[in-house]
Amino acid sequence: MAGPNLMRQQFADTMLAVGQEDPDLVVLIGDISHFILQPFAKACPGRFFNVGICEPTIVSMAAGLAKVGFAPVMHTIAPFLIDRSFEQLKLDFCYQGLGGNVVTVGGAFDYANLGCTHHCYDDFALLKALPGTQILSPASPVEFDALFRQTYRNGLLTLFRLPARVHGQAFSREAIEVGKGLRLTEGSRLTLIATGPQLRSAAAACDPLREMGWDPELLYLHTIRPLDTALIRESVRKTGRVLVIEEHSWSGGLGDDVLRATHDLGGIQYASLAIPDAFVRSYGTYEEHCEALGLSRDGILRTVAATFPLEKEVMR
Amino acid sequence: MTLPSAVLNKALRKTVVQMVSRGKDGHIPSAFSIVDILEVLYRDYLRVDPRRPAWPERDYFILSKGHGCVALYAVLQQRGFLTPTDLERFCTRGGILGEHPDSTRVPGVEACTGSLGHGLSFAVGIALGLRIRQAPNKVYVLVGDGECHEGTVWEAAHVALNRRLGNLCAIVDWNGSAAQLMPQDDLPAKWRAFGWETIVVDGHAEPELKAAFDRFQRQPPETPLAIVAKTVKGKGVPMIEGHGLWHHRIPTEEEHRLIMEALA
Repeated sequence: MAGPNLMRQQFADTMLAVGQEDPDLVVLIGDISHFILQPFAKACPGRFFNVGICEPTIVSMAAGLAKVGFAPVMHTIAPFLIDRSFEQLKLDFCYQGLGGNVVTVGGAFDYANLGCTHHCYDDFALLKALPGTQILSPASPVEFDALFRQTYRNGLLTLFRLPARVHGQAFSREAIEVGKGLRLTEGSRLTLIATGPQLRSAAAACDPLREMGWDPELLYLHTIRPLDTALIRESVRKTGRVLVIEEHSWSGGLGDDVLRATHDLGGIQYASLAIPDAFVRSYGTYEEHCEALGLSRDGILRTVAATFPLEKEVMR
Repeated sequence: MTLPSAVLNKALRKTVVQMVSRGKDGHIPSAFSIVDILEVLYRDYLRVDPRRPAWPERDYFILSKGHGCVALYAVLQQRGFLTPTDLERFCTRGGILGEHPDSTRVPGVEACTGSLGHGLSFAVGIALGLRIRQAPNKVYVLVGDGECHEGTVWEAAHVALNRRLGNLCAIVDWNGSAAQLMPQDDLPAKWRAFGWETIVVDGHAEPELKAAFDRFQRQPPETPLAIVAKTVKGKGVPMIEGHGLWHHRIPTEEEHRLIMEALA
């Protein structure tokens, strides 16, 4: 399994590389990742600011920087940029039509032992509600680098949710495009749609599902918004069944988007593996939280068996 | 509160009242407490060009207390950014002017404000960006004293000091709104405690305002300046001066006539 800091390291590497190419890239942090970003700070003097523990002001400041032509990057733990600073994102960026980049760590329950104050599984839902946003959920280093370079100064407010775990699948850089999902395996009877590190669980579930008689088609979405509706509809129209796996609240996440994208196809069977309508109050490791929530290979197998009562037809 | 004021700008005040009466919305007292500040700033100090609202070399003015925008609209029309027709369409579906300013629609408006506590932080970002570019533009932001209840104002004040943003001037409209709720309200002491160079002026007295803005032109490059302007809500029309009923009141026809008489 890949190490837990790969995404944050790639963030630092990408800032260093893009920052040297683009004199308008400015990075504002809320006192995390200070040391890992020092290469950027040294290579791009005067464009790195460890502002302090004042996230709403970091967001408004970043909007002010965008106002005078900079490409700002805001970075700290997800709930403080998304939940605490939501109105600043809404008004200072979106309402004013300014572009910027929110790069979070600690999405979902990555800070597993820190409790709900440091969890954030409402980020997709909240940012989807704002006009002028993009929501990206990359879970391999090359994805972040490619997506950031494609989109970091397109005039929109873009969330990059960086997970603590990568999904372990290898993609070519050329295959990674904002707004385009990836069909990783072709199948005929069941569509699995995963985002973020849950691709690992979904990929691991494919062989057992085949052994159970299913023929799963696996889609991976690193982009939640804009959604690759065409890919989703094409797959679900073919298979008639879809299971969405995401580390987000059941409400307002990718699952809701898939339902909206496919509701008119008719006769579609749908299931979701997400975080239920309750705080994740327990402590433990990330993996233990995943297991408890069914966000795992076995959770997928159980959900498929329990939700899609078509085994005779499938086994035929 | 009585203040030794210079002659107030009655023409701008009349424009404000006409807009509010016609549009049937707006905050007259809040506009009257800042209109003299805006007039002096736009007339004598702010480098802006109505033919080029996005001129990169312009100075920036952020009206953080967005509910005072009727005064800003009146001044922007006076300076040529807006037309009389724009003002006539205040708060109508066909117009561009609402009860809070929209920078995406209104020439000369630099920020969408209205939710209090955003403007100073936004201005800090602009000032920081100009500093990165080593540009000489100056940044002015006007905050309300009630707005200073918002914690983000002090987050931003702290950051501005530590980023040494001497290109930033905060004007505080000290019209007494804040003290209605929290009487312990020594605003100059607060700004000084946050390390800002702080001066207190009569916000309706042109000589004092000019002295303050002159001082900002000579401001040390590393220290932000706070101009705490003592003002009166509704200043200029005795029947609406002070707090209470008139904060968001639309004049009746008779009240409109009386206000216009007072401003004659």
